[in-house]
Amino acid sequence: MMRVLRRLVLGLATVAAVYTLTFVMVMVVPGNPFANPERNMPPEVIKALEARYSVDQPVKYFFEFLAGAVRLDFGPSFQYRDWTCTQIIASALPVSLTLGFVAILLAVLVGVPVGVLSAVNRNGWFDVTTVGLVMIGISLPTFVTGSALLILFAVFAHWLPIGGWGSLAHLPLPALTLSLPFIAYVARLTRIGMLDVLTGDFVRTGLAKGLARRVVIWKHAFKPALLPVLSFLGPAAAQAMTGSFVVEKVFGVPGLGQHFVDGALNLDRGLVLSTVLVFAVILVAFNLLVDVVYGLIDPRIAEAT
Amino acid sequence: MLRVLMAACLVSLAIVVVVVIAVPDTLRADFTYAAASGLNTLDPAQMSWTKDLRVAVNIWEGLTAYDPQTTTPIAGVAYFPPKVSPDGLVYEFTIRPDARWSNGDPVTAADFVRGWRRAVEPGTAGDYAALLIDNIAGLGEYYDWRNQAVSVLTSLSRMSAGGGDRAANHRQSLLAHALECDNRFARTGIRAVSNSTLRVTLARSCPYFLDLCAFPTFMPIHESIERLRERFEDVPLTAQGLVVYDPQWTKPDYAAGAKGNTARTRTVRAKARDSLASETGGSACRGLITNGPYRLAEWSFKRRLRLERNPYYRDHDRIACRTIDRLVYSDANTAVMAYEAGDVDFLPGMEVHYDHRLVQLSAAGDRPDFHNPAVLATHFYIFNCRDQEVLGRTNPFTDVRVRRAFCLAVDKKLLVEKVLARGEPVSDHLVPVGLIAGYESPPALTADPAEARRLLAEAGYPDGRGLPAIDLLYNTAGVDEKTCQVLVRMWRDVLGARVELRGKEPKTFAEDKVNRRYMVARAGWYGDYNDPTTFLDIFRSDNGNNDTGYVNRAYDDLLDQAGRVSSATERMALLARAETILVREACPLLPLYQHTNLMAIKPYVKGLYPNARLVFPFRYVTVD
Repeated sequence: MMRVLRRLVLGLATVAAVYTLTFVMVMVVPGNPFANPERNMPPEVIKALEARYSVDQPVKYFFEFLAGAVRLDFGPSFQYRDWTCTQIIASALPVSLTLGFVAILLAVLVGVPVGVLSAVNRNGWFDVTTVGLVMIGISLPTFVTGSALLILFAVFAHWLPIGGWGSLAHLPLPALTLSLPFIAYVARLTRIGMLDVLTGDFVRTGLAKGLARRVVIWKHAFKPALLPVLSFLGPAAAQAMTGSFVVEKVFGVPGLGQHFVDGALNLDRGLVLSTVLVFAVILVAFNLLVDVVYGLIDPRIAEAT
Repeated sequence: MLRVLMAACLVSLAIVVVVVIAVPDTLRADFTYAAASGLNTLDPAQMSWTKDLRVAVNIWEGLTAYDPQTTTPIAGVAYFPPKVSPDGLVYEFTIRPDARWSNGDPVTAADFVRGWRRAVEPGTAGDYAALLIDNIAGLGEYYDWRNQAVSVLTSLSRMSAGGGDRAANHRQSLLAHALECDNRFARTGIRAVSNSTLRVTLARSCPYFLDLCAFPTFMPIHESIERLRERFEDVPLTAQGLVVYDPQWTKPDYAAGAKGNTARTRTVRAKARDSLASETGGSACRGLITNGPYRLAEWSFKRRLRLERNPYYRDHDRIACRTIDRLVYSDANTAVMAYEAGDVDFLPGMEVHYDHRLVQLSAAGDRPDFHNPAVLATHFYIFNCRDQEVLGRTNPFTDVRVRRAFCLAVDKKLLVEKVLARGEPVSDHLVPVGLIAGYESPPALTADPAEARRLLAEAGYPDGRGLPAIDLLYNTAGVDEKTCQVLVRMWRDVLGARVELRGKEPKTFAEDKVNRRYMVARAGWYGDYNDPTTFLDIFRSDNGNNDTGYVNRAYDDLLDQAGRVSSATERMALLARAETILVREACPLLPLYQHTNLMAIKPYVKGLYPNARLVFPFRYVTVD
C-alpha cells in the first residue's frame, strides 16, 4: 500500500515537472502563435489577442492554466478560436482510447501466445518465422502498413470504408495498423522472458518430478515470463491510447495524436499544454497500474518494497 | 489467473464494441465534399482561410452574392443593383422583405450595421477588417481611434487590477468610452436609414464594392449575439476596452451548452441563456443563427460539418441538396481514395505527390471529372528592399539592378513545365493576366540571362564576385522546396550567386518574413475580389502585408489617383501603370506562375463550376 502511495506522489511530481518543462518550451519557442503565414495582421490586433490570451504575462498564464486544468478547463485553443481545448480533447480522447485499447488488446491476445509458442519451440520453424515477422513488424513504419491495408481492404476489396470514424467498420484497419508494432514487441518480449524463465531451477524441478510440459509452461513459467511484457505494456498502452499521428492521418481518425502535432506546429500553446498534460497523466496512471499488477503477479516485489 | 485475464479481455472488448456502436452513424448527406483540415473559425469577421470562407458563403448571405460561374456579384439579401450616387460614393441598399434569419426573424439594415461594426472592433477584427476600414468613410479614423483607446485602457486596466476605488474609476472610464464609441461610430459612413434601407458612404471610389459586399467580412450578424458579449461589470467592453464575444456563439448547439468553457465565459453564457429564456421562451437561440441558403446542423471538431437547408431562406424550395457534409481527410491520398470510392462527391483540392500525373490525365481528357483551373492567385518571391544588412551580411537587394538581375535570370518556363508540371501558366505579372475584366496587363520583364549578368556587373558584382551568400527563406509546410532548388541552381548558373536555403515552419516563417529577416522569401497572393487592387495594394508603402520594405510614393500616388477617378478605363490605365513599376522597373518581387487548383467533381454533380476564385455556392448544386 505504501508503495502505491509513494508511486502516486512521485507520479504527481512527474506530471508537474512535465507541465513546467513543456510550459517553458512553448514559451521560448520562436514565432508568434497568432501569425498567419499568408497574411499579416495589424499589430493592434495581435496585441489585443495577446492580452486576451495572457500571452504577454507568462507567469499569470502558468498558474491560470494549471488552475483551470485541475478543474478540467483547459481554456481556449489559440488556433481554433471557436473551440476550447477541453472540447477538443473531449471529442478526441474517447476516439484515441477506443482505438488504442483495441490495439493493445490485439497486441496481448496475439503477441503473448506467439511469444510463448516460439520460445517453447526454440529454433523450430515457427520460431524462425515469427522472429522474422516480428522484425518486419517492428521496422515497418505505420504509414506504410496503414496505406497497404487501406489499399488492400478498402480500395480493392471494398470490405471496409476508406477512412473516417463513427461506425464499427471504421475500427479494424486503424486498430490493426496501430497494433502491428505492439504485437511484434509483445511477442519478442514474451519470447525472451519465456526463454529466460525456462532455464530456471524451478522449471527443471517441475519437469524432473514428472509434471506435464504443458502444465510447467502455462502454470509455472508463464507468470514470471510475463513480467517484462507487463512493464512494456504500461507505457505502450499510454502511447497507443493517446493517439498516433500517422495512423490518425492515414485513416482520417479524429484522435488526439494529430492535435498534439498540429498544436505544436500552430504554436497553439493551450492545445499543446493540455494534450501534454493528458498524455502525462495517462502515462503515469498506466505505470501505476502496472506497478500494482506487478505486485499481484510477483509477490516478491510487493514484499521487497 | 489466466481465466481471469481472458474474462477481463472479453468484457473489455464487449465494452469497446458497445461504445463504438453507440456513436450514431448519421445518414449520408445529399452532397459531400472533402477537406484537408478542420475549420479555423466560423466567425465571419475573423475568418481568412479559404476553407472557412467556403462554408461562410453558404450559411450567410451578404447584400450581394456570387454568381456560381463568373463569381461576379448578383442579388443577395438586397435588391440588385442598389441605388448609387453619380459620384459612385454613396450606395443605398434596399433589403428584400423576404430576407430571413434561420430562426425566422427578418434580416434588417441594423443587422448589417452590427456585423460591419463588429468586424472592425479591436478584439474581434480579423485579417480582412481592412476591406471595410479602407473603403468606408470614417471607418479608418474610427478604427485608429479605437486602437489608441484600447492601448490606453489596457494600461489602465493593469493599474486598476487591485479592485476598490480604482476599479470603480476604471468602470467609469470604460463607460464613458463605450458612449463615445457609439457617438463616433454614428459619424461613419454606415447608416441604417430604416429597417430595410442601408446607406453606405465610401471613402474612395471603389468600383468593386458590390463584389466586396458578398465577402464574409461584410455579413450581417443576428442581434442575439449582443447577449454573448463579455462585459466589465455592466459595461459592454472588456477591461482592456475590447469588444469580445463568447467564441462558442458559432456552435450549432450553443444553447444546449457544450461543456468546457472558461469560468468567465461560462457565466456570460449562463446569463445569456437566462436572458434569452426569459425573453423568448428559450427557443430563439438554438446555436448559430445565419441567413444564408444553409444553416449549421452539426459540427464535430475536425470530423464532420453538416449543413442543412435553411427553411426560412427565400428560395429554399429551389435548393436541390437538403444536406451537405464536409468531411475532413487530413491525408491527401486518403481523400483521393475516398473520392474514387465514391465516399465524397467533390474534392476541392488534390495536393498529392503525384498531382502532376493527375493533371496530365485531365489534360489528355482521360478524366473529365478532374479540373485544373488557373485561379486568381500569383506565386512569387519577394526581395528585402530596405535593410542594408540581413543576418549579419550585406543585403545586395536594396539595389534595384540586383533585383532586376535576379528576376531576369530565372527561366520560369523550365520551372513550371519540367519541374512542377502541374499546368501552371507562367506569370511575369503580379495581377493574373486575363482574369480581371477591363484590365490590360502592362509589359513586364521576361528571362534574359545576358542582360541579367550585365546588370549585376553594373551593380558591382561581375559574375557574382563580391556578392554575399544570398539567404532564401521558404515555408517547409508548402511545396516550395523544389522551386527553391531550381532558383538556387538558376541564380548560380546565370549569375554566379551562392544561395543558402532556409526552410522554416509556417509560424516562424511568417515572423521572419514580417520582420524582414530574409533577403529573398517565398510569397504569394490570392485575390479576394475581381479588381487589380486586391493584388496591387499589398505593395503600398504602408500596407501591413508589404513585407519587402519597398517604399515608393509615386506608386502609392498612382493607386490613390486611381481611387479618385470616375472613368473606369482611366482607372485601369493608372493601375496598369502602377503594376509596371512593380514588374518592370523597381522589381520588389519576382513573379513565377499563376496558381492552378486541381479538383475533382463527380460527373453526376451539376451546378458546381471550377471558377477562378474557387467560390462554390452549393445552393445551385444538383446531384443526379
